[in-house]
Amino acid sequence: MIFSGDVMELVRSLAAYMLTSVGYWKIFEKCGLKGYWGFVPLAREYNISLCADREEEGRVYTIIMAVSYLAYVVNIAKLENPILQLIIVVSFIALFITSIIYKVRIYIGLIKVFDRKKRWIWLFLFFEALAVLIYGVSSKFVPNRKVTIYSGLDGAKVSGIQAGSIENGLSVNIEKRTAIDFFRKKILLQDIHLNIPKGHMVLLLGGSGAGKTTFLNAVTGYEKADASIKLDGEDVYEEYTKMMYDIGFVPQQDLIRGNDAVQLTLEDAATLRLPSNVNLFERKKRVKEVLEEFGLQSLKNTLVEKLSGGQRKRLSIAMEYISDPKLFILDEPDSGLDGVVARGLFERLRAIADQGKIVIVITHTPDRVIDLFDDVIVLAKDAKRTGRLAWYGPVDEAYSFFGKDSMEGILLSINQKDEGGEGLADEFVEKFAEYHKEKVG
Amino acid sequence: MAGEKIRRRGRIPQTFIYLGKLFRMFIFQSDWKVLPMSAVIAGLVAFAVGANLYRTMEGTLTGCFALALICIWNGFFNSIQTICRERAIVKREHRSGMHISAYVAAHMIYQAFLCILQAGIIIAVLNTMGVKMPDKSLITGYPLVDFAISLFLITYCADMLALMVSAFCRTTTTAMTVMPFLLIVELVFSGAFFSLPQEAMILTNLTASKWGVTTLCSQGDYNSLPMVTVWNSVVKMKDMELEGQRPIQEALVYVEENDMRDQFLMDTAKQNQKPEYNFDPDIPLKCWGYLVIWTLVYVAVAVVALEFIDRDKR
Repeated sequence: MIFSGDVMELVRSLAAYMLTSVGYWKIFEKCGLKGYWGFVPLAREYNISLCADREEEGRVYTIIMAVSYLAYVVNIAKLENPILQLIIVVSFIALFITSIIYKVRIYIGLIKVFDRKKRWIWLFLFFEALAVLIYGVSSKFVPNRKVTIYSGLDGAKVSGIQAGSIENGLSVNIEKRTAIDFFRKKILLQDIHLNIPKGHMVLLLGGSGAGKTTFLNAVTGYEKADASIKLDGEDVYEEYTKMMYDIGFVPQQDLIRGNDAVQLTLEDAATLRLPSNVNLFERKKRVKEVLEEFGLQSLKNTLVEKLSGGQRKRLSIAMEYISDPKLFILDEPDSGLDGVVARGLFERLRAIADQGKIVIVITHTPDRVIDLFDDVIVLAKDAKRTGRLAWYGPVDEAYSFFGKDSMEGILLSINQKDEGGEGLADEFVEKFAEYHKEKVG
Repeated sequence: MAGEKIRRRGRIPQTFIYLGKLFRMFIFQSDWKVLPMSAVIAGLVAFAVGANLYRTMEGTLTGCFALALICIWNGFFNSIQTICRERAIVKREHRSGMHISAYVAAHMIYQAFLCILQAGIIIAVLNTMGVKMPDKSLITGYPLVDFAISLFLITYCADMLALMVSAFCRTTTTAMTVMPFLLIVELVFSGAFFSLPQEAMILTNLTASKWGVTTLCSQGDYNSLPMVTVWNSVVKMKDMELEGQRPIQEALVYVEENDMRDQFLMDTAKQNQKPEYNFDPDIPLKCWGYLVIWTLVYVAVAVVALEFIDRDKR
């Protein structure tokens, strides 16, 4: 009797699985995905989240289901150790509850994509196979969006032109920067070649997701790419432990302990960043110089948390500046600052560049300070959503290249249409490659 | 000189940078508050269970369990938020050349300082409230020093466990959600207070509470103490009649009249002695060893977890 009960349960589970799979198959086809994924465990959980426009939840749901399947298989093996049994049962219950929550989120997304009322969720919860079949088979159920698989699209052509190497400045030759994202290989950056001479202040422009931070991380050696990055002829990747002190990176947020005084913060930064043969007297002298240069002398005994946004930003920059880096990179240093304070900050950065350093800045409000920059790097997402170089050169030439009179206008032209832009990224990437080829010869 | 290798500050000087920061935080920020808090908790526990600590078997077990839990509570609170609250700063500093091992070492030294103070505070509070403490030494020759080392090691082990959790959690909210769960595990799997199935006893080796209770009981010579539960139960049953007579009351009167009460208490205790709580120097040494091993494991895991901090997304 027990045996026949087990068989019946197995048949019932298999039938429900098959019916759900058929429903998924048809839903996937309606969403522009391959239908056969509907029959493949885990792939179907992930793909249904793509159809539902809930990829983030889908990733978690897929992992939960993978562990649940594993726990189910182990449970079938009927372990004799009661502790292991207990752990599996408790884990199974916890996973089951979590999976229900994620399933609800994904199915609510699916209902929304199919423009149906939310009450459908009850059918999905209690008669999942039936609900999925209806959504898949019925011709009245049509999704309002299709899933875009970017890897299947053609992006802008790869130029393959190298930037060469300069002795006094930064040479960047990034072939590719890839990352594994949920078992899939993604190309984040491709074909970026440029040389920045010393003393230049460069604006890094690009829409959301164009790879600005990835580019900076690749240039600083923090996240290595398939690339050759040379600073004053020295390979940043090969000499990373030495070169990291020649590169100052100021993050967007002011990541400084609020409960320390300004001078002590700088003294600790100096001890951490300066060579060990710099003695205490020289360190104190350097701290004093930097305090004065950044207008923080009168605030040296003030706690960081008592500083204004602009003062805190200056301290954050000073912490990197203290080791006198050759390359200075700032990620949105003006975020949260008003126009006058931001202008003052950029003028200070210009003065740093004039000392013979390279300053690269990301900002979302470039037009108010564009006169202070020498060059602009424009990164754009191509059709495959890979970060590509759409321009590198003087600011005034960038205007004529893009046919725009402002940086915001340039940004608008390269942004994808679904982001409210003109969707001309691929066109400009290829145009710049041609321009670059002509220039290099 | 061209080509000369520039040396940067290594792990030891970096450790001192962070120690300086932590001690400044202790003085100028709210970190010092863990000290009066530990005094208040010790006072409450001494008031609740101090009367019979190291006087009876039951009082000793309850008291040692409560003492171990005070230490674990203190340890958890000392460091559960320390790393996760400044995770983004740690990431930035790691990028600027900070060694994770130096950062964790600074925390280890600073937290050891806090734990030593807390162990001292607990002893001072227990002493002030007239709670009996071990009067024979097993290891150092000074019973209070043995006792203090045990309290310190339990606190420090819990502290490093919390530091490890703090190294894993990305936000203080997550860390504070995990903490009660860990407390429950320490409570249930102490192996002393709650009856666990034999198969689950192996899990008790993972907890600081088990080694803490064991060493505290052993140092107090648990097996030489009287047991009062049976006597108290018998006294409660003294009016029970059997065929018009009260045999239990008669027995009690006989015991009292012949001054045999203490012998009765000791005889019942003898039936309930636990070899793991023997007054034997090997037992505290073994417990201290386990506490140190777990502490080192937690620290090692914390360092490894933080080495991956660069993978944090913005």
